[in-house]
Formats: sequence, C-alpha cells, structure tokens
Amino acid sequence: MINLLSTEFLKLKRSQLFLISMLGAATSPFVCFIAYLGMKSKKPGVPILFNEVFSETNLYLVLLIGVTLYGVITAYLFNREYTENTLKNILTIPISRTRLFMSKLILLLIWILFLTMFAWGLTLIFGVIGQFQGLSAAVLMTAFKEYIVGGVLLFLLVTPTILVTLLCKNYVPSIVFTVALTMVNVLIGNSEYRVLYPWSAVLVIARHDFITQYPPVYSYLSIFATSLLGLLAAVIYFKKEEIH
Amino acid sequence: MPNWVLETKALTRKYKQQTAVDALNIHVPKGCIYGLLGRNGAGKTTTLRMIMGLVKPTAGDIEVFGQNIQENAEQIYPRVGSIIETPGFYENLTAPENLAILARLRGIHRRDAISYALSRVGLDHEPEKLVAQYSLGMKQRLGIAAAIMHEPELLILDEPTNGLDPIGIQEMRNFLLDLCEEKQVTIIISSHILSEIEQVADLIGVIHKGKLLEEITIGELRKRNRRYLEFQVSNQKKAVVFLEQQFQINDYEVHEQGKIRIYSHFGEEGKLNRALIENNIEVSKITMSEDRLEDYFVKLIGGRASD
Repeated sequence: MINLLSTEFLKLKRSQLFLISMLGAATSPFVCFIAYLGMKSKKPGVPILFNEVFSETNLYLVLLIGVTLYGVITAYLFNREYTENTLKNILTIPISRTRLFMSKLILLLIWILFLTMFAWGLTLIFGVIGQFQGLSAAVLMTAFKEYIVGGVLLFLLVTPTILVTLLCKNYVPSIVFTVALTMVNVLIGNSEYRVLYPWSAVLVIARHDFITQYPPVYSYLSIFATSLLGLLAAVIYFKKEEIH
Repeated sequence: MPNWVLETKALTRKYKQQTAVDALNIHVPKGCIYGLLGRNGAGKTTTLRMIMGLVKPTAGDIEVFGQNIQENAEQIYPRVGSIIETPGFYENLTAPENLAILARLRGIHRRDAISYALSRVGLDHEPEKLVAQYSLGMKQRLGIAAAIMHEPELLILDEPTNGLDPIGIQEMRNFLLDLCEEKQVTIIISSHILSEIEQVADLIGVIHKGKLLEEITIGELRKRNRRYLEFQVSNQKKAVVFLEQQFQINDYEVHEQGKIRIYSHFGEEGKLNRALIENNIEVSKITMSEDRLEDYFVKLIGGRASD
C-alpha cells in the first residue's frame, strides 16, 4: 500500500493541477479578505474579528468552492488512468483494483486536507496583513477544527463523484455533477433543508449550526449514507469493469 | 503431453449477439515466437485482453505455465510482460519516471533495471524528455521497455510495430529475435501483416472472425507455399533426367499430368524451356508461383486481397 501511495504522489510530479488546486483553494480567503477590506474602508470604526473572517471563509470554501474544486481533483485522479491509457499497465502487474482505488482515496484525503489547511493558513495571513482583531489561540483552534471537519466531510462526499467519473470516463460529466451539487447548496443554504442535504450539512456539522426540527443525527446520516452508497457502488463497478 | 507456456481451451468471448472470440484453442510452446495473425477485428486483441485478465471470457479456460490464469493470477502475471494496443504512460513524467512507477509496483529493486530496459529499446539518450513530447514510435518502444523491465518469461505484444518507421520495425524484429534466442523468452505477437509475422514467428495461428483457422509452424507454412517454376511436359521421365544432368536441378517435385515443379533456377525459365524443346521434349505450359504466402492467407480466410 505504501508503494502504491508513493507512486500516486510520483504521478503528480510537474502536474499543473496541484498548483491550480492551490489557486482554487486560495480564492475563498482572498475574496473574503478583499470584501472585509472594503467593509473596513467604508466603516473604519467597526472592528473586523478573526473568528468572523475564518467562519465566512470556511462557508465559501465548503459550500461554493470545495465541492467543485475537490470534484475536479477527484475526476483528475480517477480519470487520468483511462485518458492516459495506463490502467492496463497497472492491473496486469497485477495490482488489486481495491488497493489501487484505496490508494487514490488516501491521496485525495491528503490533498483535500492540505488545501483546507492552506486556506486556513492563508486566511490567517490575510487577517494579520489586514490587521483584523480578536486573534487568539482559542479562535485559531476553533477555526482549524471547523476547517478540518469541513474538509474531512467533503472528502467523504467525493464518492458519488468518483462513481460518475468511472461511469462516464470523462472530466466534463464529473464537473457538471459537482457544479449541480454546488447550485443546490446555494439554493437551500438558508433553508432548514440545509441540515438534510449532505453537501450543505457539512457546514452545519462543522459550525454546529443545527436546527431544532431535525436532530444532528439526520445530518450525519445523510453524509455517511451518501458516502457509503457512493463508495460501494464505485468500488463494485471498478472491480467488475472490463478494460478496453 | 507437450509443455505449453500458454494454452487456451475453447476460449470464447461474446458481446451481446456478437461472438468476438469463438472456442479458440491456441498452443504456445516454450521459447518460441508465436504469431497471432488475422485481419482487423478478427479477435486478436480481445484474445490477448482475456489472457491478460482485462476482459473476462464468456467461456473456456486459459492456462499459462500450466496453471489456470484466473485461479493463479498473482503467481502468473509477474512472469508476464505485455503491451495491449497502444501503450499508455503519464505524459507529465519522463520515461525513467514512468518506468520507476512500474518498477516500484512490481517490487523491482535492481537499480539498473530501468536503464537496462531503456537501453535495450534505444531510449536511454534523452532521460529528461517528457513522454508528452514522444512520438508514437518512441512510446511504442517505451511500451516494450516497460514490458521487459522485469525480465518476463512470456511476452505478449499486440501489434507492437504500430507507429514504427521501417528501420524501427527492423530493429523491433531483431530485438524480439534476440530476446527469444538469448533469454529464451516466449513471445506472442499479434499482427494483421503476414510479412511482419512471417519474419519473426516460429509458429503462426491464423484467426478469422474469432475462430482459429490454422496453427502451423513457419517451416511447414513455407514448405507448403514454396516458390516454384512449373513445367508441363510431354515426356516427364526424360525431362527430369535431362534437367538433373544438364542443369543439376535436384530440388523438384513430379506431379500428375506431366507437371514438374522446380524450386530453384528462378529467372531461367526461358533457358530451361529452350533446352527442353531442343531435346524434343514438348513444353505445353510454364507456370510461376508468386507471393504464395499472401495468397495462401487470403485463401485461408476466404476473402480477396483487396477486401
């Protein structure tokens, strides 16, 4: 498994997507920073607090940027073996399909967590540059925890995107799929159904923003059930699929 | 019982109503080059895909090194190298980096394995060049390097000369012959070009519409399709004695209706004809066989050369 994972890292050498994904992850902190600078110039007397900035940045990262960005990375990792015609080289070694699948999932988790921490770090740097207020170890730790929870839960929800990628063997349907998921996020982001829809429930859990009508278990269930169903369907399909 | 390196038993693959491979029985002896010959769409690639476990057979068995391949894949495949159709590589990496991935996955720890494989195919002079900048022929050679890097006992190559220039084809041919001779590697090579197979293979399996039409050694094939001059004469006995004595012709066959097939003296048919007539042996017909192997193949698959 270590060998498989190390080869997955080697495959990313000189890959432009890594840099592009960092730019994508930087979008949320950068846009929020510009917006808060605008607010500061309009209302210089109103302090801008670090915890607000962290929270807003995470909202954009989880609800808007994350689903599509991580979807693109997912599609790239799983689809390139088809587009570059390399899957047959690996499978005829032979390498277990399940182990190959799992090594890609682990790489994806590491990649998503790296981007999450990168966004968190960038938010902190922008906050220091903008001289926002209320920075403390507690604020940093709370924000870090929210970011990591958001990243891990979004990682769990990549399995349906993997399934779409394996079925279509093309980047476009996967990207369209994640854009559609994001659009639903935008539509129900302020409604009570946000606790039930897996991709918006991520932020609800990360922020502990539950509502009384639906107990927290509903949010957890919707995420884990979606993840598990996607994973099972994707692994079964990948294991049974013939390579042409 | 012969010691086959690879044997298929009634190997069949169906796609809905279409039968791509139909009860195929091929037998590959150890240390030989086996040419799987057939037109495009004959079922060659599907057969090789089934052997490599990329496609599941609808029926039948595959035995490699005397073991069922589905039950013993973990033991068998590390001893096999393959290129199935176009070889694929990570375009953002160099050739050594691509091979390093495969070496790590194969558990090859020999440091010189990658440089050895690249030098065998002549790709060792530009180690920094990205695969994205490779021509089709270079990718094909890199595919061969990937297939031989772990020193397999069985090498399966699906149309390996695709994209190669004439010199590249000749180099590939010599390389395969060397590999078979020096390392006793058994090689299965598929192609739709008879002349290409003929020059390397020891044994040929002709496949058409998924069925194996014939499995024949190259020696038997050449014997059956030797080039000859055929004279139809009035006095066969006298003609034979005359040709032996006057022209030292010993490689010939006598057939019915006064026909004599001579397997030498090509281009001298006029001289032979004149000499026979001057010795009162009447020649009623002279026939020259040309390109018989190609005709034989076309006849075997029941089509025309232009089909």
